[in-house]
Amino acid sequence: MSTVEKPSAARFVGARVQRREDPRLLSGHGQYIDDVRLPGMLHATFVRSPLARARIVAIDLEHALAVPGVVAIWDGSALNGDAATPLWDWAGEGTPFPEVRALAEGDVRFAGDPVAIVIARDRYVAEDAAELVDVEYEPLQAVVGRELAEASTGRAHDGIDTNVAWSAASPTDPALEAAFAASAHVITETFRQQRHVNVPMEPRGLVAHWERGAEQLTVYASSQNPHQDREYFARVMGLPEHHVRVIMRDVGGGFGQKIFRTREETAVALASRRLGRPVKWIEDRQENLMAANHARDEQMTLRVGVDADGVITAIHASHLADVGAYPLMPAMMPGFMALEVLPGPYRFARYGWAGKSVFTNTSGISAYRGPWMMETVAREIMMDVVAREIGVDPAEIRRRNVIQTEDLPYTTPTGREYDRISPAQTLEAALEEIGYERFREEQARARAEGRYLGLGISTYIEPTAGAQGPTGIEAATVRVEPSGKVNVLMGTGSHGHSLETTMVQVVADQLGVPIEDVRLLQGDTAVSPYGGGTAGSRSAVIAGGVARISAIKLREKVLELAGHLLEAAAADLEIEDGTITVKGSPGSSIAFADVARIAYYDPSRLPEGMEPGLESTSRYSAPPATYANSTQVCTCEVDVATGEVRLLDYVVGEDCGVMINPMVVEGQIAGGVAQGIGGALLEHLAYDETGNPLAITFKDYLLPTTEDVPDIRYVHVETPSNTPGGHKGVGEGGAIGAPAAIVNAVADALAPLGVRVTSQPLSPDRVLAMIDDARSA
Amino acid sequence: MKAAPFDYAAPTEVDEALALLDEFAEDAKVLAGGQSLVPLLALRMSRFDQLVDVNRIEALRGIELVGETLVIGAMTRQATIERDEEVRRHAPLLAEATRYIGHFQIRNRGTIGGSIAHADPTAEYPAIALTLGAEVEVASVRGRRRIDAGELLESAYTTTLEPEELLLSVRVPVWGARSGFAVHEIARRTGDFALVGGAAAVTLDEADAVARAHVVLFGVADRAIRLSSLEAAIAGQPVDQLDLAELAREATAELRPPSDVQATGAYRRRVAAPLTERLLRTAFVRARRAGDPTEEAAR
Amino acid sequence: MSKQLISVRINDELFEGEVEPRKTLADFIREDCTLTGTHLACEHGVCGACTILLDGEAVRSCLMFAVQADGASLTTLEGLAPEGGPMTPVQQGFMEHHGLQCGFCTPGFVISAHAFLRDHPDPTEEEIREGLSGNLCRCTGYQGIVRAVQRAAEITREDVTA
Repeated sequence: MSTVEKPSAARFVGARVQRREDPRLLSGHGQYIDDVRLPGMLHATFVRSPLARARIVAIDLEHALAVPGVVAIWDGSALNGDAATPLWDWAGEGTPFPEVRALAEGDVRFAGDPVAIVIARDRYVAEDAAELVDVEYEPLQAVVGRELAEASTGRAHDGIDTNVAWSAASPTDPALEAAFAASAHVITETFRQQRHVNVPMEPRGLVAHWERGAEQLTVYASSQNPHQDREYFARVMGLPEHHVRVIMRDVGGGFGQKIFRTREETAVALASRRLGRPVKWIEDRQENLMAANHARDEQMTLRVGVDADGVITAIHASHLADVGAYPLMPAMMPGFMALEVLPGPYRFARYGWAGKSVFTNTSGISAYRGPWMMETVAREIMMDVVAREIGVDPAEIRRRNVIQTEDLPYTTPTGREYDRISPAQTLEAALEEIGYERFREEQARARAEGRYLGLGISTYIEPTAGAQGPTGIEAATVRVEPSGKVNVLMGTGSHGHSLETTMVQVVADQLGVPIEDVRLLQGDTAVSPYGGGTAGSRSAVIAGGVARISAIKLREKVLELAGHLLEAAAADLEIEDGTITVKGSPGSSIAFADVARIAYYDPSRLPEGMEPGLESTSRYSAPPATYANSTQVCTCEVDVATGEVRLLDYVVGEDCGVMINPMVVEGQIAGGVAQGIGGALLEHLAYDETGNPLAITFKDYLLPTTEDVPDIRYVHVETPSNTPGGHKGVGEGGAIGAPAAIVNAVADALAPLGVRVTSQPLSPDRVLAMIDDARSA
Repeated sequence: MKAAPFDYAAPTEVDEALALLDEFAEDAKVLAGGQSLVPLLALRMSRFDQLVDVNRIEALRGIELVGETLVIGAMTRQATIERDEEVRRHAPLLAEATRYIGHFQIRNRGTIGGSIAHADPTAEYPAIALTLGAEVEVASVRGRRRIDAGELLESAYTTTLEPEELLLSVRVPVWGARSGFAVHEIARRTGDFALVGGAAAVTLDEADAVARAHVVLFGVADRAIRLSSLEAAIAGQPVDQLDLAELAREATAELRPPSDVQATGAYRRRVAAPLTERLLRTAFVRARRAGDPTEEAAR
Repeated sequence: MSKQLISVRINDELFEGEVEPRKTLADFIREDCTLTGTHLACEHGVCGACTILLDGEAVRSCLMFAVQADGASLTTLEGLAPEGGPMTPVQQGFMEHHGLQCGFCTPGFVISAHAFLRDHPDPTEEEIREGLSGNLCRCTGYQGIVRAVQRAAEITREDVTA
């Protein structure tokens, strides 16, 4: 099915090329945000609300300001006015949104809400002073709990007389109801997913430097998208865009948490401008868990109709999301995305949906690796529920419904157009690799011995590289320097996903030069062309695509010039390992470096009309989405005496199109799966009923460790996409698929006990409680 | 996340440390391995005017068999205890339990005295001290005294040590022939504090009846507790005739463990029974093996 | 709260400084000695990113105060391999097996792996997983890390037999 031409000399694309980033990171020479030190730099910390909802009666700074080393302390009333606009505003028709200010003013709306910023000569002193800021609060009723918010008599926000942030539904569809009525079985179930935190190992942070005279703001950011940050700071600070420069060097992970700039970062930039000095803020872990954006916290009710064979006839999905107090994205996003993607890998025609998001007095929701993944959680757990209910094997029910190659192109009930996907193949590949039939025999033997083994499947289609607005295009400048060495300038936002390697692989292949001769420069708005940064699994597709386009364009110029110098037609030349040769005439060649030197220093030798130098800039506008597909299968054992779950085996079958670097692809999948394991078994940012967060240290918010993530095996299917390199995104799929696979495995293990698993995390106490409930039922 | 200011002293002699503790009393805190104290300081959940760092006092380190007692200096690192031959031979339970403490990097700093004095109700060492019937030797400028582990552990993070007192050593009695031990815990992840943990030490007589038994659970109350009724119920009974499942269930039925974000109290009570059963079963098997001459020879 | 003068040998270089007693060893290494290869990701002793070798033993540098290290000899990530020299087997293993992505947890893993392999030169996978369970990584799912340590053990054995 491949229609995409492989690069002419694909020495690097497709190979497990070792990472260019690694030598510096492995020797301690990375440059993360806390490694930035500027002369005269000050340090910030925040006074945060201990209460979820309260009126601020008074703020007394006197004792705090007296601490030696304190430079300034500002509360909201003192600092917020420096911002030129609300920080962000997602209000629309029927979708109210609070005014977002850097610091709380008048009232506080979640535990962790920043109330004042303290600037001091070092962080120790800043924290001493923050403790002494005396804030008098008058407690108000907090709105807490996804399912309680709408009916709460409290209000999450002053000035918004409802806690419903968004509510919508598909039009009434008689055909849908008719399809349900005609179904042999109609099954309804609600699935819940707890609140997570992205938890990049490097928390948020920045150094903001207002340069007086130049009237320029330079921000050293821990970000995923420097150009969007530039736009943000320009707007919020009331600056022209060319007076803002954003630099991101090494970034210690993001997973969506670092897409959007936040209130604290804004306060730091405003403070720097007031002081005319660089100000650093490094979020500590407690702040990160309490006040950086959270994710998930949602539920979905599915009503599924199937015929007697388990073939889906109709689905209705209803989604409810808690978006916290100040969501960083529109309140509709979690629900709308999940509902829209829900049809996934299955063929069915009738679909209806309803979605609602509520404000609560908790930290705001934002993107986290696969922010729509509730669709896979609900749909894939439901597939097992249906299978069990009607007595069909869970692998078989998927086979009966999954989109086959002959169905393509296929349009989902929500209008997504699939082509060049292979969900049936990745399903079979994963089942085969795990040894499905063999496991069923082992499971039966184990059950006879009183041991509970289970297997779970999760199949999904992942929309990747969603291209719209600022993320729709990407640019690459490929510049061969006079020595023949190559700089690639891009607006990408690498924060751990190996772009310094993969983009270089793409370019080196096209230019036919050694990989060591190519380097990626990214993350500095003063250096790179505008780019969308990283979000939505877009880098391989869009950035990789434009790197290829730009390199091909430059290659053409190199060949034209070389042909002119060698007195041969460009079409008769090939570049390999830095040498350009006339095909079939090894004696007739010129070094790539010589062509470069001539291009810059010897214009008289250029063909008529050729511009000196060797540089090309291209921009690529990607299709609306590129679809990857995958099936995850895992096995587990549940100890029914203690409720402990142990994962035994894990297989991911996936198709992300042409892989630039399989090692990197597998790394992305593994990292996502581990986060999914965390969500399924361990992680929970719980609040009590007053809105007090209960897991704000790493002792309580539990990340998976080496002991919790089993060996993962991969089966790759490569169906090229219709984008320049044939790539598809792979950044989020691991995280999307894992929770349902694990929940299904646990449910399968406990099926003999009549347990139905519909929520996470599957902590030992919950597992035991489910077993007890089933036994007493 | 930075600690509030404090003054710091690092004496090299016990007497110096005692003088400092006497001077500052409640305002001072002993800094041992620091693996629990430093996070509390960093989170500003605790604060003291004066830290007395006892890491430089050589006299507080070391492991020595004195008669039938293993005397372990309070500042002996957990990693040392984990690897020590004397400990493995004379207090194998202590060595085995050490592996449950945090991770090896933590055990490289953490100390036995610090851990016991911290009295975390979910921690291993206070529970093992209780299981083995250990004493601690403590000192102040006024003199020295010994405290039985059961008397020492008062409630969560609270001991009967006076603020002026320094824990000098832990005195672990050597259990005799035909003794067997077990320790196990249920935790969310490897190295985490236990949701529920337990340890058992038993000695069997020639007829395989229970001559002596200590059974301890931790994580189920405000401190590690001995299951005295269970111990009494099995005393003198032939091992083979014990209905361990039922005994364990009865012994744990009245527990009222605390709930937290990781597990409910009901869960802790529920798994305490199978855990207790497992501990006894393992300890009995090991006690029999310890009395088996072929096994002895093999060791 | 008076400052104290300390001297600490780090990567075979002597650093002297005046520190407040409350300054953590990690902050001293990063700020006073400008050795920023040691990272802080939790500051309360759980994540392991700040792990260093203190007189040869792996410890969390956020759980010690700098004053406690007076007179001690430390090794940080920067000091494992000679400047400009070859990588250590652990570093090599991490490179070959994609044992790092964002690199933020990496200092702690690499240091811990060094200490672990010294005590377990021929580890099983189970031992590696147990040994490194005190370090948190959010990127790799640990797959590459476990392989990297296996590979490092292999390289070390090859070096010894060679």
